[in-house]
Amino acid sequence: MENIKITTTLDTSGKCCPMPMVEANRAIKALAVGDVLEIVATDIATRTDIPSWCNRLGYTLLSLSEQDDVLRYYVRKDS
Amino acid sequence: MKSLAIVVRDDSYDKILTPLAFAYLTAAEGVQVDMLFVNWAVKALTADGAASLCIDGRHAVDEAKVREGVAKAGLPTDIYEVIKALKSTGNVNFYACSLAAAIFGVSQDNIISEASGIVGAAWFLNEKAAKADHYQYF
Repeated sequence: MENIKITTTLDTSGKCCPMPMVEANRAIKALAVGDVLEIVATDIATRTDIPSWCNRLGYTLLSLSEQDDVLRYYVRKDS
Repeated sequence: MKSLAIVVRDDSYDKILTPLAFAYLTAAEGVQVDMLFVNWAVKALTADGAASLCIDGRHAVDEAKVREGVAKAGLPTDIYEVIKALKSTGNVNFYACSLAAAIFGVSQDNIISEASGIVGAAWFLNEKAAKADHYQYF
């Protein structure tokens, strides 16, 4: 985590499917290749949605953490 | 998946949320989504019809709670606003089934500007549904 340089943070706390993924798509489109998007989520569906999304669209899930029901994903835009 | 075709028949507020949410989710990812509204659901493609959608039957008593949940999830509670949000992705086309439009009172005069038009089911099934990577019916 210490080595990840976050470009921007998207906080989807409280929101449920489809909004975290809709907003994540919107946020990552605004980034350049190599940038890192931190996604904060409380929707447990993101546990499967975000890794699958990364695999499908060519992003790299650098790390994820969970504390007190808050999930944090660090996604690098590789393409 | 590059394309998704959806036929929407159920017009109650709660039941129409699912196809709209699926369309929103996939369109946000860049998937081309084509939606055909048939039967009573065609009314959702008019401003008055979209505004009048409600929850039917045994779940009707829970409508306020459902709308509260929709807002909490981050979606607009108004179906027309959801349609506008989907349209703003640039990847969703809304079509009214011509038969449904004729029966349930949708015409060029009252269809919302976000809709791509009134079309025949044969055209949609052959040109959109059959050619889509995935097809859903609600």
